[in-house]
Amino acid sequence: MDTLLSVAGLSRRRLVNRLMEGLATLAAAAAVALLAFLVYSVAKRGGGSLSWDLLTKTPSTGGFLTSSNTGLANAIVGSLVLVGLATAMALPTGILIAIYLTEYARPRVRAFFSLVLDVLAGIPAIVIGVFVFGLLVVGHAQSGWAASFALACLMLPFVARSVQEVLLLVPNSTREASHALGVPKWRTTLSVVLPQTVGGIITGATLAVARVAGETAPLLFTSSLLTSNDVSTNPSHALFSIPLAIFEYSESPDPHDHELAWAIALVLMIFILVANLGARALAGRNRRSLTGR
Amino acid sequence: MKKSLSFAAVLALVAAVAAGMSAAAGARSSDTTITGAGSTFVSPLVQTWQQPVGGALGVTLNYNPIGSGGGIAAITNRTVDFGASDAPLSPDQFSACKGCLQIPWALAATAVLYNVSSVKNLLHMDGPTLAKIFSGEITKWNDPAIVKLNKGVSLPDTTMTTVHRSDGSGTTWNFTDYLSSVSPAWKSKYGVGTSVNWPAGTGGRGSAGVSAVVSQTNGSIGYADVAFALKNHLKYFAMKNSSGKFTTPGLRGILAAASSDQKPDANNALSIVNPPKKFANAYPISTFTYVIVPETSAKAPELKKFLFWAVTKGQTFGPKLLFQPIPKPVLVVAEKTIKKIHT
Amino acid sequence: MASIDTPVRPGRRSFTGRRLRPADALLQGVAAIAATSAAVLVGLIAYKLVRDAWPAISRYGIAFVAHDIWDPVANHYGAASFLFGTVLTSVFALAIAGPLAIAIALYLTELAPRALRGPVTALVETLAAIPSVVIGLWGILVLGPFLAHHVEPWLHSALGFIPLFGSPSTGPQSIFTAIVVLTIMILPIVASICRELFLSVPRELKEGALALGTTRWEMIRAVVFPYARGGIAAALILGFGRAIGEAIAVTQVVGGGTIIQANLFSGGDTLASKIAASYQGADSNIQVAALIYLGLILLVFSLVVNLLAQWVVRQFGRGQGAVSRASARVGATA
Repeated sequence: MDTLLSVAGLSRRRLVNRLMEGLATLAAAAAVALLAFLVYSVAKRGGGSLSWDLLTKTPSTGGFLTSSNTGLANAIVGSLVLVGLATAMALPTGILIAIYLTEYARPRVRAFFSLVLDVLAGIPAIVIGVFVFGLLVVGHAQSGWAASFALACLMLPFVARSVQEVLLLVPNSTREASHALGVPKWRTTLSVVLPQTVGGIITGATLAVARVAGETAPLLFTSSLLTSNDVSTNPSHALFSIPLAIFEYSESPDPHDHELAWAIALVLMIFILVANLGARALAGRNRRSLTGR
Repeated sequence: MKKSLSFAAVLALVAAVAAGMSAAAGARSSDTTITGAGSTFVSPLVQTWQQPVGGALGVTLNYNPIGSGGGIAAITNRTVDFGASDAPLSPDQFSACKGCLQIPWALAATAVLYNVSSVKNLLHMDGPTLAKIFSGEITKWNDPAIVKLNKGVSLPDTTMTTVHRSDGSGTTWNFTDYLSSVSPAWKSKYGVGTSVNWPAGTGGRGSAGVSAVVSQTNGSIGYADVAFALKNHLKYFAMKNSSGKFTTPGLRGILAAASSDQKPDANNALSIVNPPKKFANAYPISTFTYVIVPETSAKAPELKKFLFWAVTKGQTFGPKLLFQPIPKPVLVVAEKTIKKIHT
Repeated sequence: MASIDTPVRPGRRSFTGRRLRPADALLQGVAAIAATSAAVLVGLIAYKLVRDAWPAISRYGIAFVAHDIWDPVANHYGAASFLFGTVLTSVFALAIAGPLAIAIALYLTELAPRALRGPVTALVETLAAIPSVVIGLWGILVLGPFLAHHVEPWLHSALGFIPLFGSPSTGPQSIFTAIVVLTIMILPIVASICRELFLSVPRELKEGALALGTTRWEMIRAVVFPYARGGIAAALILGFGRAIGEAIAVTQVVGGGTIIQANLFSGGDTLASKIAASYQGADSNIQVAALIYLGLILLVFSLVVNLLAQWVVRQFGRGQGAVSRASARVGATA
């Protein structure tokens, strides 16, 4: 502790401090620069290839030597369907779990299910993909249902946790006042508490959707054997998806495929960034309105 | 509440757009759709068949090139209507597939691709040297063994990076079959398979993936169906065959190789790698490739129509892609087997 | 008013009397079923993996983890080289990302001008939102060639005496590229958690140290780090957990290889990337079972890492809230 406070070593201490501050600033600048460069790479290469064709045509089925893929409309629509179905599966379940954990479960039970959710959140997406393949695909065909179910497994812990957080923000006085007026608990939960959390639920759902829109691993074995190149919204067979398109085209030798990959990656990134920033802004506003802070 | 209303409005808008796109792109019913998966080796030809099959037969053909291993797995699980594999099924795979038929439906060659920026000529290669390269014993392009085969060409001191298939591949089967027949050391150490214990090198997914890695890596050497070399402007070796001649994977070399085995075995498999000396023009890494179909299938009528077309009219689309039309004796066996498919 | 901020006290008693209304029971029941189904799902995943891997488990037992071979021709399989690849790539990624992330978190909490804090934080956390397949695409086409043509030759010529920096790869795929990609992916997670942690350090402690005449760096060393060390450890462990589970970006750039060797510039495979590359094309039962066995090992590894992070946080007392808040926001899973 002597050198820490000695005046004699002050200039050396100040130098070390300056050095460390410089390193920290450098690190932050490097991170920002890296992100900027990544986004710039995608924007520059993708922007040049963005076209109306990308959004409306499907991969071509012409001859091998002369053809080039033209569009990814089937991937875009497929992703919308898969993520939509996954949200439909995960959102109500997640909300119910959050309600159970905040309104009904005793502390020990709550701790157990919290652990369950943490464990589920920690399972790698590729493992979930292998699991759902074994459960739903073996012996039958691949399908959008199997892929959506896999995505829903990934979404569930996030939705449950974020809804739980918002439910906890609702002041207890609201519940107590409602009960004091003679409203049964189920009615309190559904008509008094839950409506106050709608903003938070939308935020949580949006973040979960943004998270899962880019997941490739669960789709590899559940929705990759396509039965047609046409745009389809039918989940009973495999549907093409944006992450899978990027994955396949990234490994292609055809530079034109690379251009398509960049373009669709840009579309995906714009969607995710907008969803993330929007959800964050919404979350800030919700928190302020609920807690007055 | 306003926020959730606008959110719902956005959702509805998105659904409407999706429906619109779906209508615009013309979604068709899947009643006469045949879905297949497997070999990337044969995918150039099958992809070329999609349009004419739709026009001539009214059948929608969709093919997923995921590698022969994937094709065998997919048809075994009945996830698709047909599988495609360049590697003939083993007895275990036949029993796992439960009543599957193996039908030779195309014939082509595996090109040994390379990418050395400073060399413009067509290079020569022979089997034993190739085996040493892929087992990691030869690591530089100016190794004496390679220089000896290419007198007069100035080869650089670049490191050789071998590129193999990371997925289960019939092309790997064909390639390792060839290496095993020219190199006893390879045969005992690595053997023949859709996937082997590669000692070194980079993996690529699918023939397209291998082509991509080769074109992005200077000093690399890989293997894929020759159509991929054509499409991606990749160079390939002229291989020394048993008679001492250096041949390229063209139609002549493939046809000469095919005449070395005209009698499919009990399961319709044929082996034409490294043909004996008397087939002087043969390209030694040629192979037949097979379609695997269940003998009993709900889509039997469509499958039969498609397969009959594939082994006859379909073969005429081959030469442009360096697929040699299958020889008459093999065609006869193929048609006999196709007749066995029933509902 | 105290009651506004008290946590909810749940219980099964109906608030309108001793009778439990059927609607109450219904809601509680349905909610309980939802929660139970999550638990059942986790159990089902574990059970299915074990069952499908059983042919490999019964043939090799635990020794599978130590076998350094993957030979589909002779049908001999072992996880050692992929376990090695997983540990190698993740440890190196953590070694680079860890200090960087802590530095970034320090910058955001202590050094940055107020106006910059919000935007830069949002930027760093946005890095976590970029899908792994997009980072993989960038890795193959932009980062990989750059590393292969400029960075690896330089490292080899400067540090080539260390076996790690052997002969450079001539293409975009290598273990080194995978390490850089993983570093980019775990950086925002560790930085975000550390930032929340540093924000939670009590002002009085920090100001007390500064009032005694310490420089800011000395204050950080004396106050912030000791206070937050449990949370920092947890952040690093969670980042590690994220890295070991990453399959897609890694399989795009790692090159594929089954040999355990030291050269970072050659190819390799991790547990996750091997499954992604080979599972679809596995054409024999024992190979499929071996791949699922790899998945089981990965699952156990991830679970241990996750639980370790939780335990660390609990042991060192503080930081639970920060860790869970931040990890929920940036998605600290694969």
